Amino acid sequence: MSENKQIRDVFDAIADPTRRRLIQLLSEKAEIPLHELTVQFPMGRTAVSKHLTILKEAGLVLDRKVGRETRFRLNASPLREIQDWVAFYSKFWSKNMLRLGQLLEEEEE
Amino acid sequence: MNLTLSLDFQYTTTIEKLWSALTDSSKLAKWVANIQTGQPMENNFKPVVGHHFQFRTQPTEYWNGIIEGEVLIVEEPHRLSYTWASGEKHTITWTLQDLGDGKVNLHLEQTGISNAQALNGAKYGWSKWCGDLEKVFA
Repeated sequence: MSENKQIRDVFDAIADPTRRRLIQLLSEKAEIPLHELTVQFPMGRTAVSKHLTILKEAGLVLDRKVGRETRFRLNASPLREIQDWVAFYSKFWSKNMLRLGQLLEEEEE
Repeated sequence: MNLTLSLDFQYTTTIEKLWSALTDSSKLAKWVANIQTGQPMENNFKPVVGHHFQFRTQPTEYWNGIIEGEVLIVEEPHRLSYTWASGEKHTITWTLQDLGDGKVNLHLEQTGISNAQALNGAKYGWSKWCGDLEKVFA
């Protein structure tokens, strides 16, 4: 398992559907200003900001000020941890299911 | 929050033989192995609903080497489900399907995978979502 150095667990960050949608929106463009993200959700700017802060704490989102607006972009690398987590079990069963195949072949002989 | 692992394998055998390989303790010991060491895991599995079992392997510095489970569903020869816990509790469900021509499909679903058990996130198509994420890494 990769080590998590962010101040918030990435699993925690993606446990909410609004935040998953934010990640998807940010994955489609290089950078998106806050007001453009806000219009995509049936909630106010403050609520969307709060979700973005949680994503930021998990290292999934980076922001910068440009004039009077804040622009956000995605940093997908922490999501690898999610994949690694599932990959461990995937490897365990795939390998063992191959062994199961060998066992069944031996039985046939 | 719930990540689901889903795998399919096809075998040239009969559904009865595959069922036996999944439920007979001595056969399980021949194929369920510790992937780090390749060592087989001792077990006291029985295909009886409510039965508590353990799979054991050499302990390491990080892990006591014990996987604990409880049998949830036994529908011979099509469906078998049990909990599977080493640290966090998952559910394993095997579905066997006769494809004809001497082939059988084995489908595995492992649900409840997360590393934050306290979360009550919405149920979601995680594997699909993780699949979509591949595009993000591209």
